[in-house]
Amino acid sequence: MQILLIEDEGDLATYIARCLTENGHIVDHSPRGDSGFQLANNGNYDLLIVDRMLPGMDGLALVKALRVLKSEIPVLFLSNLAGIDERVEGLNSGGDDYLAKPFAAQELLARVNALLRRPHRVGQPTTIHVGDLEIDLIQRQAKRAGREIDLFPREFSLLEYLMRRPDQVVTRTMILEGVWDYHFDPKTNIVETHISRLRSKIGGDLIQTVRGSGYLIRAARAVT
Amino acid sequence: MRRGQLLKSASFRLAAAYVGLFCISVGILAGLIYVYATSELRHEIRTRIVADSSALREEYSRGGLKQLEDAVADRQRGRLVGGLDYAIFDSKGKHLFGDLPAAPCVHGWTTFTGPPDGDEPSGEMESLGVLITPLPHGNCLFVGDDIGKVRTFGSLILGSFGWVFLLTLILAIGGGVFLSSRVLRRIETINRTAEAIIEGDINRRIPRRGAPDDLDRLAATLNRMLDRMTALMESLRHISNDVAHDLRTPLGRLRRTLEQASLTVTSQAEFKQVLQNAVVEVDGILETFGAMLRIAQIESGSRRGGFCRIPLSDLVREVSDTFAPSIEDSGRSMELKIQPECWIQGDKELLIQSLANLLENAITYTPVGAHVVVSLMRNKSEIELCVADNGPGVPATMRQNIFKRFYKVDPSRTAAGNGLGLSIVAAVAELHAARVFANDNKPGLKIALVFSAAA
Repeated sequence: MQILLIEDEGDLATYIARCLTENGHIVDHSPRGDSGFQLANNGNYDLLIVDRMLPGMDGLALVKALRVLKSEIPVLFLSNLAGIDERVEGLNSGGDDYLAKPFAAQELLARVNALLRRPHRVGQPTTIHVGDLEIDLIQRQAKRAGREIDLFPREFSLLEYLMRRPDQVVTRTMILEGVWDYHFDPKTNIVETHISRLRSKIGGDLIQTVRGSGYLIRAARAVT
Repeated sequence: MRRGQLLKSASFRLAAAYVGLFCISVGILAGLIYVYATSELRHEIRTRIVADSSALREEYSRGGLKQLEDAVADRQRGRLVGGLDYAIFDSKGKHLFGDLPAAPCVHGWTTFTGPPDGDEPSGEMESLGVLITPLPHGNCLFVGDDIGKVRTFGSLILGSFGWVFLLTLILAIGGGVFLSSRVLRRIETINRTAEAIIEGDINRRIPRRGAPDDLDRLAATLNRMLDRMTALMESLRHISNDVAHDLRTPLGRLRRTLEQASLTVTSQAEFKQVLQNAVVEVDGILETFGAMLRIAQIESGSRRGGFCRIPLSDLVREVSDTFAPSIEDSGRSMELKIQPECWIQGDKELLIQSLANLLENAITYTPVGAHVVVSLMRNKSEIELCVADNGPGVPATMRQNIFKRFYKVDPSRTAAGNGLGLSIVAAVAELHAARVFANDNKPGLKIALVFSAAA
């Protein structure tokens, strides 16, 4: 996939670019906001990674300008400003995700992959299948091989979050943000304990732990 | 220089303005009294002259010239000081009686001036006001009185006012100088103290006189302000000390590990392990910084603008449910006592984080088997959120310190946390104008947040 990285910190840009290239992406880099905007506007990219504070043109302004031009390209904001207001501002200006520096490489990769797979304007499905596991988003019910599974609301949300991203690694932070809307890092293993309870209810084989990264529900494996 | 300072001082100017105002009012008073008194006196003299003239005219019409002369002679014989002067002229203007000079016999007032007789102000002539009354058969009656005494009386009034005026002026100026120099001295003391503090003697305070006047109150207020500032500076110094200390420890540990590794590690696997440990250590440091930035952001109060009505009962239940599996898996138990429909004005995210911090503390600082009670109670206009455990608790002497940044009840347990969890809770409480308490749960620790309920 073609990714445009607009980041003025040289070291960080090199680190991100290498990390993405190693995972099979093609990365263009621009160290300035204004030239980055030109590239983004003219080029054909699948994803933008934009720093919030850039020389030439502010990251927020850049994304706003792109959205005005009807660009629907997914945008991941990077920022030193880990504050809550800044995150909300970033998402309001048209960003699709927000990652505070410093971050782990896995976290970045997981979020990039999630954004690249984000379906563009697909009608909302009412049921999701992964293998023989099926969830009904309206009834809020889960069934495995036709047998109903009794889930707490939060467990259902967690399962839904994972099933909407089959074969994708989702990190602990992504789950905290996506399922609980928690934007801080609890030291308690709440994600782990919820995953383990969910596993014990739906069967241990579906949700895999990816060491050092997060979790993944594998659609292909369940089929076989 | 000192005199210039005195003349420019606010208190001296105030005194001078008072003196000026007083002088003007005394002047107006003197003028009014002068005008009123002299015109009254003049009126009285004329009334007496008019009355006597008509009495004498009566005598004349009853007994002719002879009786008139007798009556006048009678009056002159019994004349006392301040009595009237008389004269009678016949139709040819011949002087028949009395010692007033001649004048045309026309009814009305006239004024004679003559040589001074001793009661006039020096250098002035005797001045007589005379009423001329024509009588039948061409005779003419003059009745007069010394009107110079009106002016004498007036000067007396003005003179005494002048003395009062002078005395007042002297007293006022003297008093003004005295008072303002006293005030100036005290202001100078305050000034010198301030200069000393600017120079670096931060513990200097303005000396008090113990008198309950406004300058002493000002000194007390300034001293209190200085105390507060010193305390704030002290706590700031503490915080930066603590930051330095708290970051030195893990950085030192990191350095030791890396140094050790560079000397002893030989295999790739070992090396990887060392690096992974280093990353964990650095993450801890970054987390400490993140927490400090978060506290700073909360304390700035900027989040207050985004406050909205929060269903605290639902929030507490959801967060507790989220943590319940972790608490149970850790071998502890949790009990919820949540009164429904408790609403407050607040910031959802920060409230969640505070409760999460409290629950995490209850897990971290209690032994396995501990029981945690989360309660939410509404009491009239107040809502109390409590997280209580039956663990070892915190000694009473340390309890008030646990909300301070980097404070650790047991400093040897470095791994247990960064000492900022409860500081965040305290900052969030302050943002919500809530009171926060740490109490003895007998046994255990009970942290309570008291919010005011939303309408």
